[in-house]
Amino acid sequence: MTTPGISILQGKYMVTMDLFPQESKEFNQMYPFFDYLKEGRFTTTRCKDCGAEPFPPRLLCPECYATNMEWIDWPTTGTVIDVTEEVVGVPLGFGKPPLIHALIDLQGKRTFFVRIINCQQGELKSGDTVKLAVFDIDPVPQEQGREVVEMPRVFYAFEPAK
Amino acid sequence: MDRNVCIIAGGMSKWGVRDGSQRDFFQEAAKACYEDNPQLNPKDIDGLLVASAYTERTSYQTHLAPLVAEYVGIRPKNICARVELLCASGSSAIILAFALIKSGQADIVMVAGGEKLYTPQKWEVFYSELASVDHDWDGTQGLGLPPPVFAMVAKQHMKQFGTKKEHLGTISVKNRRNSAKNPKAQFQTPVTMEEVMSGRMIVEPLTLYDCCPITDGAAAVILAAEEKAKDLTDKPLVYLRGTGQASVNNMSANMPDWTTWEALKIAAAQAYKKSKVEPKDIDVAMTHDCFTISEIIEMEDLGFCEKGEGGPFVGDGGNDLGGKIPTNTDGGLLGCGHPFGGTGIRQAIEVMKQLRGDAVQQVPNATIGLTHNLSGFIAAHTVLVYGREVA
Repeated sequence: MTTPGISILQGKYMVTMDLFPQESKEFNQMYPFFDYLKEGRFTTTRCKDCGAEPFPPRLLCPECYATNMEWIDWPTTGTVIDVTEEVVGVPLGFGKPPLIHALIDLQGKRTFFVRIINCQQGELKSGDTVKLAVFDIDPVPQEQGREVVEMPRVFYAFEPAK
Repeated sequence: MDRNVCIIAGGMSKWGVRDGSQRDFFQEAAKACYEDNPQLNPKDIDGLLVASAYTERTSYQTHLAPLVAEYVGIRPKNICARVELLCASGSSAIILAFALIKSGQADIVMVAGGEKLYTPQKWEVFYSELASVDHDWDGTQGLGLPPPVFAMVAKQHMKQFGTKKEHLGTISVKNRRNSAKNPKAQFQTPVTMEEVMSGRMIVEPLTLYDCCPITDGAAAVILAAEEKAKDLTDKPLVYLRGTGQASVNNMSANMPDWTTWEALKIAAAQAYKKSKVEPKDIDVAMTHDCFTISEIIEMEDLGFCEKGEGGPFVGDGGNDLGGKIPTNTDGGLLGCGHPFGGTGIRQAIEVMKQLRGDAVQQVPNATIGLTHNLSGFIAAHTVLVYGREVA
């Protein structure tokens, strides 16, 4: 499952038009999230001082303001609370309609409003289980000295657990 | 120094899918604003705040305020800057202008807001809208364009409180009827309940008429210290009484509740307290009807009806002309359209007119009015209260 978002630019990559975040350590201190994602793990940061588990992952604990964070695994399956199916107005980079989203309960960690892939219209129902789905996205051509190196990237959605 | 602040002029360009550029629309709005108050010499304006969210994306222009100042013929000496809070940029700029005047940092401030959103190929603006939410975490799930978010809100509200699709339709019919009487509005024709109920599906349960469009256009108002205002207008003085703006989360995963908007309740409580009013004192309201469900929840969380009763409340005409709290008398976002930075300013113009007594669809004897915006992933709420008397 690939998602365009860069190829629309006829081969000319521009960060200002990139659908996805910069995932390399040179451009994102939260790069371990994406490294773990490549292993099929869904992670966030936990504050070693107060135990808070903020999402998105971050450097600064929003509860006690410590910067003593560690990476922890979160569940990779959740339960569907409700589903939406966007049939008109799907933004470029998200394929043909419908664009399906579900509000999911990630085993009590958070409710996430996430994209659902590998799913037919009308297929997903409240109470169903969905699981993390990791897919390749276009790499970033990044300057390293005089070289330009392709930095591979992945991103995530969820899909029906069959 | 703690001065009273009045809104003494307001005007807007024609809103819609417009021929022209962002800078064209700011000039049209300024012209309409100047014409609303011929006693004011624009050369006396000593501050300018410009509200625009997508200026860098769709007009490739940052450092916008000096550009607008140059185009509208003013030379600010106390403040000349841009304010951005997406859909609440305009109201945010009004709050800041209020504070600057109140504190004596400026005397007469123009607040102008607007956007040229439509690009020669529309996909560009829809794609850019993925920046409206947390781009890295929600934008990447395809949630920049808001219909899926508000469809989920509507589904949950229907499930919890029994709100019906017909209740949503009531809002479309009311606001399109109102915009048909507003020559500056994007939509100049009313719609019937039958048309609304058979509208094209966008994201169930939201159909075409449940969703506001995006819009090109601009609006401008002028705020002044009370002592200046008394010399600058013969029309009834309209005061900005108090404001509130709150955010309790940004990313969707941190939404405390999808159907009770905590930040709205906080912003409203602040605005009511500072304005020394209660919900029952408000005579007319402009609330952020980006989607029909939004206006219903806003009636509840602003305190105009009980929680969960928003559907029947609007269904019975509670927020229509002649009802308890006439809302979006100029057409709202559903009728006027939504050039993000312009919307809060449009709302201020309509409330000003209602309180002066010269609105097109005048609420009889209106003395206190309210404006409300939500912005982002329902991530911030902004409430302003205006009145014929100071707080």
